[in-house]
Amino acid sequence: MPVEQAESGTAAPEEGHLFAGYETDPAFYDEMFDADGAPRAHCRELWAALGETPRDELATMQERAERSFLHEGITFSVYGEEGAQERIIPIDIVPRLVDAEQWDLLERGLRQRLEALNLFLADIYGPGRVIADGVIPADMVRGCPQFRNAMRGVDVPHGAYVSVCGTDLVRTHDGFLVLEDNLRVPSGVSYMLANRAAVKTSLRDAFRRHRVRGIENYGRLLRRTLAELSPRGDSDPTIVLLTPGVYNSAFYEHMFLARETGVELVQGGDLVARNGFVYMRTTGGLRRVDVIYRRIDDDFLDPLTFRPDSMLGTPGLFNAYRLGNVAIANAPGTGVADDKSVYAYVPDIIRYFLNEEPLLANVETHLCRDPDGLEYTLDNLDKLVVKEVGGSGGYGMLVGPHATAEERAAFAEKVRATPENYISQPTLDLSRAPCLTEDGAAPRHVDLRPFVLRGQETRLVPGAFCRVALTPGSLVVNSSQGGGGKDLWVLSG
Amino acid sequence: MLSRSALGLYWIGRYLERAQHACRLIADQFETMKDRPVDEIDKGWRRLYGGLGRVPVGGALSSNLDDERFMLVDAFTLADDLTFEAGNPDSIRSSLANARENARQVRHVVDEDLWSCLNLAFFDLRDLGIADIWQDRPSEFYRRTEDAVRTFFGIAESNMYRDDGWHFLQLGRFVERAQLLSALLEAQLAVYPAGGPDADPVTDGETSDAETSDAEGSDGVADAAADAGPVGDPAADQAADQAADPDWLSLLRICAARDAYGRLHSLHYDPAAVVDFLVADPLPPRSSRYARALVCAARAAVSPAGPPPAAAGRRAGRLAASIDYDWPNRDPADEDAIRATLRGIGDSCRRLHDDIDAAYFSYGLGDGEDGR
Repeated sequence: MPVEQAESGTAAPEEGHLFAGYETDPAFYDEMFDADGAPRAHCRELWAALGETPRDELATMQERAERSFLHEGITFSVYGEEGAQERIIPIDIVPRLVDAEQWDLLERGLRQRLEALNLFLADIYGPGRVIADGVIPADMVRGCPQFRNAMRGVDVPHGAYVSVCGTDLVRTHDGFLVLEDNLRVPSGVSYMLANRAAVKTSLRDAFRRHRVRGIENYGRLLRRTLAELSPRGDSDPTIVLLTPGVYNSAFYEHMFLARETGVELVQGGDLVARNGFVYMRTTGGLRRVDVIYRRIDDDFLDPLTFRPDSMLGTPGLFNAYRLGNVAIANAPGTGVADDKSVYAYVPDIIRYFLNEEPLLANVETHLCRDPDGLEYTLDNLDKLVVKEVGGSGGYGMLVGPHATAEERAAFAEKVRATPENYISQPTLDLSRAPCLTEDGAAPRHVDLRPFVLRGQETRLVPGAFCRVALTPGSLVVNSSQGGGGKDLWVLSG
Repeated sequence: MLSRSALGLYWIGRYLERAQHACRLIADQFETMKDRPVDEIDKGWRRLYGGLGRVPVGGALSSNLDDERFMLVDAFTLADDLTFEAGNPDSIRSSLANARENARQVRHVVDEDLWSCLNLAFFDLRDLGIADIWQDRPSEFYRRTEDAVRTFFGIAESNMYRDDGWHFLQLGRFVERAQLLSALLEAQLAVYPAGGPDADPVTDGETSDAETSDAEGSDGVADAAADAGPVGDPAADQAADQAADPDWLSLLRICAARDAYGRLHSLHYDPAAVVDFLVADPLPPRSSRYARALVCAARAAVSPAGPPPAAAGRRAGRLAASIDYDWPNRDPADEDAIRATLRGIGDSCRRLHDDIDAAYFSYGLGDGEDGR
C-alpha cells in the first residue's frame, strides 16, 4: 500500500488486504491507528511492510515462531487434572510500537516509582517516618501479610530492597496508567527476549528500518546489578539463581536467566547455611555463595525464619543474610509494597519521599476497608473490577461487567465478609493493538510489563513483555488464562 | 560444578546409553523376525528381556512355538512394551523422556544444540505407538532414534567444555554401557548355553567345538567347521560362517563388533571367543574393557578438590579388576563361573554408581551433621 494514501487519512485498504477488516473503536486507544483509522506516524513502516507481505507468509512466520518456542522448550507449566503440562505462551508476531517520546516518559516514571518504593521499604523496616507522619495507616503496613518483622533493622546493600521490578502498565485515552507493581519475584523477562528473537527473525526488514532499540543486554545488566549487592564487594562474586524447581510454572525463565547471566541455578537443597555463611554443594565440595537471586516466595527461603512447617528452603539462610554475609534479591518482605491496598498510596509515597509529582498515574482505586469504598464497590459491582489485595496472576478477581448476576452476588458476600481483603477499580478501557487472525488483522487488548533493575544504580532496557488478550473482547492478559505475548519495539528518537 | 547439575548430566549419559542399547537390540530382533525360524525369534525375545531383567508382558514368554501367527501378535506386544510403554522404565520412550527431563532440569549447563537434539528426538516419538511403525519398516524407526542419540553424543564431543559436566556425562554413559553389556552377555549365555550339555573344556586358549546351539539342526556342519580350525582356511571359514549360530553373529552386530571380530578371529563365531572379545578386548568401543577404561578416565578427571572421593575411586578400581583380572582368570570350562564373573562386573557397576552418588552428590558435611 502506498504510504501517501494513509497520510490522506482515508485509508480504506483494498479487499483482501491484511487490514481490510480492521475496525478501530473510539472507546479504545489503538496502538497502531489514529482516530481516523490511519496508521500513526511512528507505525507506518511496519504497517506498510505487513500489508506487502503475503498473508500466507505471515501465517507461516507465526507458525514457525510458535514451533520454535516448543522446540526450544520456551514453555510454562499449567497444572490440571492430568498433572503438569508444558505449554507455550502464544506469540503474535505483529509487534507493538512505542516511540521515543512515550518511552522517555515511561522510563522516567518507572525510575521515579522504583526509587520511591525502595525508600518506602527502607523506611517501614527502619525508622517508620512515613507512618509516623500519617502518610499511610500503620495497620495497613504492619498488618499486611507480606510485612516481615524479621526484616526490621536489616542493612540492605544500597537500599535496594527491590532489585528486579516488573511493573504492569496499561494505556487508555488518558495515557499510561500503572496497574500494579510486582516487587516480589516478577517473571516474564525471558518472554520479552524470546519474543524479540522470534519477531526480529520474521520481520527483519521492518525491524531494521524502524531503528528499534536493543534489549539483548538485559542479562549483562542483571548480572551487574546482582554483583553490586555482593557483601564481599569483589568483582567476581558467586551468584546463584534460586528456583523452586522444574515444576514451577516459570522454570524455563529461571533456567534461561541462569544461562544469560552465567550463574548457577540452584534449588533449596543445593544450599547449605552454616556458621553464618551460605554455601552450595558442588562436585568439589562446599562453595561460598555471595548473592542469591531468588525466584521463590519469602515463605520458602528459610523455615527457621518464615515457615516452620515448610520442607523447602535452607535453614539458617536468613541468619546469614542478617549478618550481611550473603545478599538476597529481592529482599524478603518487599511484598508489602505491592499489596493492592498499599498501591493506592504509591502516589503519596512518591510525593513524600521524593518531593515530586508522580510521572505515571495510578488507576483509581477504592479500598473496601474504608466504609465509603466498600459501599461504592458493592453499589457498582457491575462496572468494577474487584481484586484480592494479596492476589496475583488474575486469580481471585471479579470482572464485574463480564460476570453473571449470580457470580456478582457470590462475590459481594466474600467482600462483605472480609472487606479489608479487597479493592475495586473501574473497568479499564485497555488500549488495543492489531493481531494476526485467520481473517486478517484484528484488534486485541494489550498491556506491558517493563523490567527495572536496581543495584548501586537503576537500569532498564528499552523493552517490555507485552501481554495480549487473544480472545476477542477479553481484558484478561494473564498467561495462565489464555493470554499471549507480543514483541514491543521501542524506537530510537 | 553444582552437584545436582553434574548428577543431571550423569543421568543423561545413562539414559541415552540405555536408549541406544535398546534400539540396537530391538532393531536386530526385527532383522531376526524377517526370515528366522520361530524358536530363534523366541530366543531373541528371551535374550532381550533377560538382559533387561524384565518380565515380559503377560508374565512370561510362553508362546506356542508351533503357531507362527501367535508369535507375530506376541512380537507386536513385546516390541511395543520395549519401545513405547510408558510404564516400562527401560522402554526407549521412557529412557528418552528421562534423559530429556534431566536435561530440562539442568538446561542452563546443557549446550543449546544438545538440548534441541534431545528435545526433538523426544517429540519425534512422544506420540507414536507400535502400530505407527509396524507396517512401514520398523528398523527405520530404530535407526533414526539411535541416530538422534549418536548425534547428541557427537555434539557433546565437539562442543562441550571439558569440565566436570563432561566427565559426569561420560561416567554415566560408560558405567551404563558396562552394566548393560554384562547383563546382555549373561542373558545370552542363559538363552544359548555356549558349551551345551556335552561341551569340551577349552584347553589351549582356542575355542571349544560344540558350542553352537542346534537351532538349525546342523551339528554336523558346525563340528566339521570347528575341526577344520578357525584360522587360515578360506573353505573352512565359509563353511563355518554358514553354520555359525546366527545368535552369536547377532550379538556381535548388536555390539557393532562383527567386522572387527571377523578380522581378528576369521569368521568362526565361536561363543567363548565372542564373549571373550566383547569383555576383554580393549579396542571395540562397546566392549566391557573399553567402557571400564573410559569410566576410570572420567573418574580420575573429575574435580580433584573437595571431599575425599576415595570410595568411588576404589570402586572404579574394583570394576577394573573384575574385567582385567577376574575375567582372564575365570575357569573357561565352568559356565556357571563365567556367568558369575559377568554378574560380578555388573555388581561392580552398581556399587560404583552408589559410591559416585555418595562421593559427589549426597555427601555428608563431615561434622556429624547430615548434609540435608
